[in-house]
Amino acid sequence: MFLDIIVISFVVALIRGGRLKETPTFHALPFIFASIALQITSGFIPAWGGVLVSISYMLSIIFFYYNRNYEDMRFFIIGWGMNALAIWSNGGKMPIDLSQAKKLGISLDPLINGTDFKHNVLDSSTNLAFFTDIIYMPFPMARVISMGDIFIMIGAFLLIQRIMNKPLILKHIREGKNYAPKS
Amino acid sequence: MRLNLKADNIFLFVIIRILFPVIAVCAISFAVAEWELRESWYLLILYLFLSLLASFSPISTLGAKLTLNSAVIFSALILFSKEIAMWSAIVEVVVIWVTFKSSWEKALANAGQILATVWLVSIVQTGLVNQQIPILLQDSILIIIFWFTNTLLSAIGIQYFNNYPFKRVFYSMMKTGSTGYLLLMFIAGMGTRLIQSFGIHAIIPLTAVFIAMAVVFRQYLSSHRELENKVQEINQLNNSFLTTMAAAIDARDPYTHGHSYRVAYLGKLLAEKAGLSEKEVNDVYFGGILHDVGKIGIEDEILHKKGKLTQEEYERIKQHPVIGYEIVTRAGVFPELLAAIRSHHERIDGQGYPDSLKGEEIPTMARILAISDAFDAMVSDRPYRDGLSIESALERIQYASGTQFDPLFAELFIEEVKKMVESGEMQEIIEKTKKNVAVHT
Repeated sequence: MFLDIIVISFVVALIRGGRLKETPTFHALPFIFASIALQITSGFIPAWGGVLVSISYMLSIIFFYYNRNYEDMRFFIIGWGMNALAIWSNGGKMPIDLSQAKKLGISLDPLINGTDFKHNVLDSSTNLAFFTDIIYMPFPMARVISMGDIFIMIGAFLLIQRIMNKPLILKHIREGKNYAPKS
Repeated sequence: MRLNLKADNIFLFVIIRILFPVIAVCAISFAVAEWELRESWYLLILYLFLSLLASFSPISTLGAKLTLNSAVIFSALILFSKEIAMWSAIVEVVVIWVTFKSSWEKALANAGQILATVWLVSIVQTGLVNQQIPILLQDSILIIIFWFTNTLLSAIGIQYFNNYPFKRVFYSMMKTGSTGYLLLMFIAGMGTRLIQSFGIHAIIPLTAVFIAMAVVFRQYLSSHRELENKVQEINQLNNSFLTTMAAAIDARDPYTHGHSYRVAYLGKLLAEKAGLSEKEVNDVYFGGILHDVGKIGIEDEILHKKGKLTQEEYERIKQHPVIGYEIVTRAGVFPELLAAIRSHHERIDGQGYPDSLKGEEIPTMARILAISDAFDAMVSDRPYRDGLSIESALERIQYASGTQFDPLFAELFIEEVKKMVESGEMQEIIEKTKKNVAVHT
């Protein structure tokens, strides 16, 4: 889903001199693997899509919670929270803005027919519309994202920097100290 | 005036852990309920990015870490609506929660604090708009209220989570952080109106101003830090002077060295007990270390004589306060310690030496050190007699209270020593100083 962001993050980390020597320790790893597996499965079994995605979301929040001490995890939690609020207040599917979706150039029929397993259409009855997929992001891969997704992408970027042993220490940036991380 | 500690804590607890989070939740619920315009989504996204950027752009001032985000929040408030302002505030709260990995309670309290500020300011804003006050006057009033409320509520939070006294936190935040805060807010207010009147390109001069301000503050801060470092250096130099003198005394007369540390230590305890200020207490300590420095100028035969001194020799020894005074005066440092050195043998009844000062004429430091000096002299073994027991020494001090020693200090001293004997601390000090280990404070 965010493959391009992940690739870019790795490239940036490489440029900054990071290497995949030793990965930092994460707790409750099985949960995140299960979550990813469920998401992939839901792609193959659209009928159960909603349920599988919901379960996958539950599992991932457990993973984030156990690792909440890492800054990147906290960004994931915020993004997850926004997306979860939007999805659960709209019948288990993420509403997407039609006018933005049109710019994607793919067929919108499943969406309009209501058979798309992940999204439904944004209209006046949508709750918490500002947390839904309303932002059109043309680069690097065209997609329509939500604000929660922005936080998730930030989290992913930071996480990959950390995995490559070049963590960005947010506290230092905020306090205007050096931008170079300590590691 | 501080309340009883328990009442204090419960009061604070209610505010921070209940009231602020409740305010936060209410503010957010009302905002979400009242407001759903589709056109505003782009505003939300724009202010998301502005706040993310602002939350990571610090302007460090002396007191607080100034966040550029107050400017963003204020701009949202005067240009658009309080909901967008609250949104910006929440983004910053989230950033702080992430960056500092703080607890839920802190994040919620922080949210409550800033949202309450925004809420209050927006209420005042509505009032001012209804009164048709001119816009720039409105902005100025709102800025003052924003700054004051934010400082007040943050101070409450800081006091609660760090256990600092409220007055100190509040006054220090007002004193040191306010200039920068107000400068930032007024520039933000003006810049926002500029953008409103002239369009988005006004962001160019605005950004330039913000960057320049950040640079100026950084320069100011770094020169301030340099100054602090210089002061530290000077203090260290002074301390090495002291150590040198103390080492010189030790080389000359090992008895006096351990004696000086004990006199200094006991004098310091007495000064603390008598409620002197921190500076005065430290002066007593250093005065104690140096008080017998004049003995350097006394000849060996007199200093180390095993028997009793002749009248001539006694007169010579009586000069050591003046000799010490001359030495330290010439060095040009520690003018505040001169009193301790010159007058520690004065008596309340005016029969002391060298100046025959009476009663209140004797500087406080000297009156304190006179007692601890005499005490240590009494209990120490000398070449010509053994040391007295601590009880006998204390009895003699009691007896001489009012004539030789200041009665108030004498009484406090006796109390203090009795406590120290009971707790075994006295023995510890004697052991340490006998081995010429300084009794550090």
